Amino acid sequence: MQELKSQFKQIWFVDFEFSVKPGEFPVPICMVAEEYYSRKRLSLWSDQLKACEQAPFDTGKDSLFVAYYSIAEFSCFLQLGWSLPENVIDLFVEFRNQTNGLTLPLGNSLLGALSYFGVDSMEALEKEQMRDLAIRGGPWTAEEKISLLKYCAKDVEALRKLIIRFSKKIHTLSALNRGRYMKAASVIECNGVPIDGEMFKKFSLNWSYLQENIIKEIDAEYGIFDGKTFKTDRWKKWLIEQKISWPELPSGTLDMREETFREMSKKDKKIAPIYELRATLAQMRLSDLAVGQDGRNRASLSTFRSKTGRNQPSSKSFIFGPAVWLRGLIKPKEGFGIAYIDWTQQEVGIAAALSNDERMKSAYSSGDCYLTFAKQAGAVPWNATKASHPHIREQFKACVLAVQYGMGQDSLALRLGQPVSKARELLRLHQEVYKKFWSWSDAALNFYLSEGHIKTPYGWTLHLPRLSYNKVNPRSVRNFPIQATGAELLRLACCYCVENGIRVCAPVHDALLIEAKLEDLDDAVLTTQNAMSVAGEKILEGFKLRTDVKIFRYPERYMDERGSVMWETMVGLLDKPNPPTAYVPIPPMEQYLAV
Amino acid sequence: MTETPQFKDQFDLARIKLSTDYEGLESVKKLITVVPVKKPNAQEFVRVHPSPEMRLQTTTLILKDEGETYLVEKDLWPELLAETAPVCLYTAINRQGVLFLWCVKMPIKTNKQNWTKSTLDAIGAAQKGWIRMQANMSGGYYDIYKASGNLPEPEWPELTFQEIIRIAFRDRFIDSLDHPALKQLRGEV
Repeated sequence: MQELKSQFKQIWFVDFEFSVKPGEFPVPICMVAEEYYSRKRLSLWSDQLKACEQAPFDTGKDSLFVAYYSIAEFSCFLQLGWSLPENVIDLFVEFRNQTNGLTLPLGNSLLGALSYFGVDSMEALEKEQMRDLAIRGGPWTAEEKISLLKYCAKDVEALRKLIIRFSKKIHTLSALNRGRYMKAASVIECNGVPIDGEMFKKFSLNWSYLQENIIKEIDAEYGIFDGKTFKTDRWKKWLIEQKISWPELPSGTLDMREETFREMSKKDKKIAPIYELRATLAQMRLSDLAVGQDGRNRASLSTFRSKTGRNQPSSKSFIFGPAVWLRGLIKPKEGFGIAYIDWTQQEVGIAAALSNDERMKSAYSSGDCYLTFAKQAGAVPWNATKASHPHIREQFKACVLAVQYGMGQDSLALRLGQPVSKARELLRLHQEVYKKFWSWSDAALNFYLSEGHIKTPYGWTLHLPRLSYNKVNPRSVRNFPIQATGAELLRLACCYCVENGIRVCAPVHDALLIEAKLEDLDDAVLTTQNAMSVAGEKILEGFKLRTDVKIFRYPERYMDERGSVMWETMVGLLDKPNPPTAYVPIPPMEQYLAV
Repeated sequence: MTETPQFKDQFDLARIKLSTDYEGLESVKKLITVVPVKKPNAQEFVRVHPSPEMRLQTTTLILKDEGETYLVEKDLWPELLAETAPVCLYTAINRQGVLFLWCVKMPIKTNKQNWTKSTLDAIGAAQKGWIRMQANMSGGYYDIYKASGNLPEPEWPELTFQEIIRIAFRDRFIDSLDHPALKQLRGEV
């Protein structure tokens, strides 16, 4: 604690209890805050919270705010109209960073963290009972209020115990930098993604009808389905007719796994509608999409949940999670526009910068790293263009992507539709041309295996599970610095944007979706691009990453070309002259408690 | 257009920046524990070390079926004339950085001279640039292809020739007539 004590005059441990409906803003129920040095404790019920114009404790530059998954607390701050604290250390994030890659018997929850450090905590059953009490909703009896406040206070006490246990391992500035992102993420979650409410309602009311009829519409050109059943033998016949080679399982049957279908749909556009259709039928319940009464999709970003430190939002409740075609529901309100801004070939740029491979840097900076790779490998002349050598460019592109995703020669051959020997040759060329990169990649793996961890520029760490070396996937480890640095880039860009008043609706892997009034949209795009560029330069030693922009102005809607056929077909079904008769309303959204 | 805002950080982010130069950070050095003794295959571009100190004229025993080459103690050469062949071992490396000893049989049979001669031509060329060689069966010699691209110079490992020989023939050194490889040849195993 010495380092923290020397930097902060006050350290506040804070916990809120609140209820929230899917897609809506949280409703604070109560809050307990306790100061580390003075042990001063504040226990406030919702009416007392609402009476406060700002947080009832110091949140300025000399104070530290400590919470466990603080986005929940900040959502309440925002609802209460309070300014977010200056300095934040989130013990969930720090616990994740200290155990990322290890198997935790009780997971990443507060109870899991306490148990990991051998600290006594409340029983899970007691926690469950309190959650139920909050979910039940008010009015609460005086006794119930006391119970809820006590429960809240126990979490605050747990924070004190926890920070004492692992404060020695926390690098304060790095932790503050991660805490900064939790603030930005809470604002982004509250902003949400604008949804075409009318269309969402139409889809929701007619979901059963659409599911039944979309098969007929899409399948008319394929003839694969029998009623609602996908017939593999018909699929096989169609593939033969189309002369498309499809991977098989060792048993000799077609490999119909979802990931194989997804890979193949990227390779051949004809497959994409059937993939989208299968995804829609298999996974989707429109009622899971968290859309609030104000027509905005708000889902937990689940920050720092993945090993690379990327967000891991629910694939069901987040609009960027379900089938791609559904993203057509994203539509700016009248007078507004949205922009989807992503880093161009981010992973190649990061790999080039981190490894300091001049040839890879030059390929990235050329604007077409795939064709430049082919040129550097001597596969095409130096004056070749995308138009003059499209097929070779595609092969080298597949190879670059294969290296990024850690694919082996078999998977690359599948992606290329070529023999394994061809894939092997391409991968060999990659190793030859980008020798410095491969040497760096080897060193990254060696460092991880010898030192027991590997870190990104700002300290996100992957730990080696000492007792299960055999579970280490070398390709994942090699990929970790690149992916995790990509996550760091996105986090810093989010902070810059939010802190500069840009309305960020969602971070999406290597992109930001922003929203602005039509008259401000161009400026907002420019600011966002600058933010992304500055973030890149700061993290990658001045190396410049480019960004691409797609702008949609009201009344345009967002559209991803992979889902456009499916979207048009769905809308076409709704517009048919004979409307469906069997309406199935969405089930009422259940209130639940997020703590 | 509005002014580009300044993206300010609470503190200088350089203070928390860690190095990702894992090569500089790591305490691991790649050990060369295997040095194949072979001739390059038709697909690989190779270089040969130009220093005369990085080659050796000697005698080896080659078990073709096993694809194994044995170094033979000099004192045994007279007794093993029938089983062994004079060779020259050149230090070579391919584009993937794999170090190997290029084993070239010295010409004895006149009908093989073109194979050997073109091999020696290839070795000469490989001391100056990246080459690959491919058998021309109808001509009875090797075609030699020089890499047309501007390929970087090879990175030779920091090993002496003595060390390379020791690694390459660690388990394949015949120092007595009772060596298992010789017993196998005599049908005693």
